[in-house]
Amino acid sequence: MSETVVEQAGPEARPAAAAFVACFLAWLVPGLGHLYLRKKERAAVFFAVVLGLFALGVASDGAASLFEPRQPLSFLATLDNLATGPIDLVSRYHTYGGIVFALPGEDGDPRRTDLLNRLRSRVRSVTYEYGTIFLLTAGLMNILLILDCYDIASGRKN
Amino acid sequence: MIRSHFVNLVIFSGLVAVFFAFLTQSETKDRLRVILVLGGSMIVLSLIIAYVMYPFPLR
Repeated sequence: MSETVVEQAGPEARPAAAAFVACFLAWLVPGLGHLYLRKKERAAVFFAVVLGLFALGVASDGAASLFEPRQPLSFLATLDNLATGPIDLVSRYHTYGGIVFALPGEDGDPRRTDLLNRLRSRVRSVTYEYGTIFLLTAGLMNILLILDCYDIASGRKN
Repeated sequence: MIRSHFVNLVIFSGLVAVFFAFLTQSETKDRLRVILVLGGSMIVLSLIIAYVMYPFPLR
Protein backbone atom coordinates (compact mmCIF):
# COMPACT_ATOMS: atom_id res chain seq x y z
CA MET A 1 0.00 0.00 0.00
CA SER A 2 1.51 3.29 -1.06
CA GLU A 3 1.41 6.38 1.12
CA THR A 4 0.66 9.77 -0.28
CA VAL A 5 2.69 12.54 1.27
CA VAL A 6 1.05 15.93 1.09
CA GLU A 7 3.53 18.75 1.41
CA GLN A 8 2.21 21.94 2.89
CA ALA A 9 3.49 25.24 1.58
CA GLY A 10 5.16 26.59 4.71
CA PRO A 11 7.47 29.48 5.41
CA GLU A 12 10.71 29.37 3.46
CA ALA A 13 13.88 29.00 5.55
CA ARG A 14 16.80 31.14 4.37
CA PRO A 15 20.52 30.94 5.15
CA ALA A 16 21.63 32.40 8.49
CA ALA A 17 23.46 35.20 6.68
CA ALA A 18 20.16 36.31 5.14
CA ALA A 19 18.63 36.65 8.60
CA PHE A 20 21.52 38.84 9.72
CA VAL A 21 21.30 41.01 6.60
CA ALA A 22 17.52 41.34 6.96
CA CYS A 23 17.84 42.38 10.62
CA PHE A 24 20.55 44.92 9.81
CA LEU A 25 18.52 46.40 6.94
CA ALA A 26 15.45 46.55 9.19
CA TRP A 27 17.46 48.59 11.69
CA LEU A 28 18.98 50.78 8.96
CA VAL A 29 15.64 51.86 7.48
CA PRO A 30 12.27 50.74 8.94
CA GLY A 31 10.67 48.33 6.45
CA LEU A 32 13.84 47.71 4.42
CA GLY A 33 14.33 44.30 6.04
CA HIS A 34 10.85 43.23 4.91
CA LEU A 35 11.54 44.57 1.41
CA TYR A 36 14.71 42.44 1.32
CA LEU A 37 12.58 39.43 2.31
CA ARG A 38 10.16 40.29 -0.55
CA LYS A 39 7.30 41.39 1.69
CA LYS A 40 6.64 44.57 -0.28
CA GLU A 41 3.22 45.46 1.13
CA ARG A 42 4.32 45.09 4.74
CA ALA A 43 7.55 46.95 4.01
CA ALA A 44 5.66 49.96 2.65
CA VAL A 45 3.24 50.06 5.60
CA PHE A 46 5.97 49.67 8.23
CA PHE A 47 8.10 52.35 6.55
CA ALA A 48 5.15 54.78 6.53
CA VAL A 49 4.00 54.02 10.10
CA VAL A 50 7.40 54.12 11.83
CA LEU A 51 8.70 57.13 9.93
CA GLY A 52 5.35 58.89 10.32
CA LEU A 53 5.46 58.37 14.07
CA PHE A 54 9.08 59.50 14.19
CA ALA A 55 8.38 62.65 12.14
CA LEU A 56 5.39 63.43 14.33
CA GLY A 57 7.60 63.02 17.40
CA VAL A 58 10.23 65.44 16.09
CA ALA A 59 7.57 67.93 14.97
CA SER A 60 5.91 67.73 18.40
CA ASP A 61 9.14 68.81 20.15
CA GLY A 62 9.94 65.31 21.40
CA ALA A 63 13.44 64.79 22.77
CA ALA A 64 15.80 61.90 22.19
CA SER A 65 16.91 60.34 25.49
CA LEU A 66 20.43 60.75 26.86
CA PHE A 67 22.21 58.16 28.96
CA GLU A 68 22.75 59.48 32.49
CA PRO A 69 24.83 57.12 34.69
CA ARG A 70 22.93 58.24 37.81
CA GLN A 71 19.64 57.14 36.20
CA PRO A 72 20.16 53.55 34.94
CA LEU A 73 16.77 53.41 33.20
CA SER A 74 17.89 56.20 30.87
CA PHE A 75 20.11 53.56 29.23
CA LEU A 76 17.03 51.63 28.08
CA ALA A 77 15.37 54.79 26.74
CA THR A 78 18.53 55.72 24.82
CA LEU A 79 18.83 52.19 23.44
CA ASP A 80 15.17 52.34 22.38
CA ASN A 81 15.77 55.62 20.52
CA LEU A 82 18.82 54.10 18.81
CA ALA A 83 16.67 51.17 17.63
CA THR A 84 15.00 53.55 15.17
CA GLY A 85 18.23 53.44 13.17
CA PRO A 86 20.36 56.26 11.76
CA ILE A 87 17.35 58.59 11.63
CA ASP A 88 17.68 58.79 15.42
CA LEU A 89 20.59 61.14 14.75
CA VAL A 90 18.11 63.61 13.23
CA SER A 91 16.13 63.87 16.47
CA ARG A 92 19.36 64.17 18.50
CA TYR A 93 20.63 66.97 16.29
CA HIS A 94 17.22 68.64 16.42
CA THR A 95 17.09 68.43 20.22
CA TYR A 96 20.67 69.07 21.30
CA GLY A 97 22.24 70.80 18.29
CA GLY A 98 24.66 67.90 17.81
CA ILE A 99 25.04 64.15 17.97
CA VAL A 100 25.03 63.35 21.70
CA PHE A 101 24.24 60.03 23.39
CA ALA A 102 25.13 60.64 27.05
CA LEU A 103 25.21 63.47 29.55
CA PRO A 104 28.73 64.38 30.75
CA GLY A 105 29.16 63.15 34.32
CA GLU A 106 30.24 66.21 36.33
CA ASP A 107 27.69 68.77 37.56
CA GLY A 108 29.88 71.80 36.78
CA ASP A 109 30.66 70.70 33.21
CA PRO A 110 29.55 73.53 30.88
CA ARG A 111 28.62 71.01 28.18
CA ARG A 112 26.29 69.23 30.62
CA THR A 113 24.69 72.56 31.56
CA ASP A 114 24.21 73.43 27.88
CA LEU A 115 22.58 70.06 27.11
CA LEU A 116 20.28 70.32 30.14
CA ASN A 117 19.26 73.84 29.13
CA ARG A 118 18.42 72.63 25.62
CA LEU A 119 16.39 69.78 27.12
CA ARG A 120 14.56 72.15 29.51
CA SER A 121 13.57 74.39 26.60
CA ARG A 122 11.98 71.31 25.01
CA VAL A 123 10.19 70.28 28.22
CA ARG A 124 8.46 73.67 28.29
CA SER A 125 6.71 72.84 25.01
CA VAL A 126 3.10 71.70 25.54
CA THR A 127 3.55 68.77 23.15
CA TYR A 128 6.89 67.59 24.57
CA GLU A 129 5.38 64.53 26.28
CA TYR A 130 3.55 63.44 23.13
CA GLY A 131 6.61 63.95 20.98
CA THR A 132 8.88 61.97 23.28
CA ILE A 133 6.39 59.09 23.50
CA PHE A 134 6.06 59.06 19.69
CA LEU A 135 9.86 58.81 19.35
CA LEU A 136 10.08 55.99 21.91
CA THR A 137 7.18 54.12 20.28
CA ALA A 138 8.85 54.37 16.86
CA GLY A 139 11.95 52.74 18.40
CA LEU A 140 9.92 49.96 20.04
CA MET A 141 8.13 49.30 16.75
CA ASN A 142 11.43 48.97 14.92
CA ILE A 143 12.68 46.48 17.52
CA LEU A 144 9.59 44.36 16.77
CA LEU A 145 10.26 44.73 13.03
CA ILE A 146 13.85 43.52 13.45
CA LEU A 147 12.60 40.47 15.39
CA ASP A 148 9.89 39.89 12.76
CA CYS A 149 12.53 39.94 9.99
CA TYR A 150 14.54 37.35 11.93
CA ASP A 151 11.46 35.11 12.25
CA ILE A 152 10.65 35.40 8.53
CA ALA A 153 14.25 34.83 7.45
CA SER A 154 14.67 31.80 9.72
CA GLY A 155 11.45 30.23 8.43
CA ARG A 156 9.38 30.56 11.60
CA LYS A 157 6.90 32.90 9.97
CA ASN A 158 5.61 33.50 6.47
CA MET B 1 2.45 70.61 15.88
CA ILE B 2 -0.87 69.08 17.00
CA ARG B 3 -2.06 70.50 20.31
CA SER B 4 -5.34 68.58 20.63
CA HIS B 5 -5.15 65.68 23.09
CA PHE B 6 -7.91 63.84 21.26
CA VAL B 7 -6.36 64.20 17.80
CA ASN B 8 -3.02 62.98 19.16
CA LEU B 9 -4.84 60.02 20.76
CA VAL B 10 -6.60 59.12 17.50
CA ILE B 11 -3.41 59.41 15.40
CA PHE B 12 -1.36 57.36 17.89
CA SER B 13 -4.05 54.67 18.23
CA GLY B 14 -4.50 54.49 14.46
CA LEU B 15 -0.79 54.09 13.73
CA VAL B 16 -0.29 51.47 16.46
CA ALA B 17 -3.37 49.54 15.28
CA VAL B 18 -2.22 49.54 11.64
CA PHE B 19 1.28 48.46 12.71
CA PHE B 20 0.06 45.47 14.73
CA ALA B 21 -2.54 44.53 12.12
CA PHE B 22 0.17 44.16 9.47
CA LEU B 23 2.62 42.56 11.90
CA THR B 24 0.27 39.84 13.13
CA GLN B 25 -2.17 39.19 10.26
CA SER B 26 -1.76 38.34 6.60
CA GLU B 27 -5.34 38.55 5.30
CA THR B 28 -6.95 41.92 4.54
CA LYS B 29 -10.15 41.02 6.39
CA ASP B 30 -8.25 40.03 9.54
CA ARG B 31 -6.16 43.18 9.36
CA LEU B 32 -9.24 45.37 9.17
CA ARG B 33 -10.70 43.58 12.19
CA VAL B 34 -7.52 44.13 14.22
CA ILE B 35 -7.40 47.82 13.21
CA LEU B 36 -11.00 48.36 14.28
CA VAL B 37 -10.81 46.36 17.52
CA LEU B 38 -7.35 47.53 18.66
CA GLY B 39 -7.69 51.15 17.52
CA GLY B 40 -11.22 51.42 18.88
CA SER B 41 -10.26 49.82 22.20
CA MET B 42 -7.35 52.21 22.70
CA ILE B 43 -9.54 55.26 22.06
CA VAL B 44 -12.56 54.11 24.08
CA LEU B 45 -10.50 52.84 27.06
CA SER B 46 -8.48 56.07 27.14
CA LEU B 47 -11.68 58.12 27.26
CA ILE B 48 -13.09 55.90 30.04
CA ILE B 49 -9.88 56.23 32.08
CA ALA B 50 -9.86 60.00 31.51
CA TYR B 51 -13.50 60.21 32.64
CA VAL B 52 -12.80 58.14 35.77
CA MET B 53 -9.78 60.31 36.63
CA TYR B 54 -11.73 63.55 36.17
CA PRO B 55 -13.10 63.78 39.77
CA PHE B 56 -9.58 63.51 41.25
CA PRO B 57 -7.84 66.88 41.43
CA LEU B 58 -4.05 67.18 41.13
CA ARG B 59 -3.80 68.51 44.70
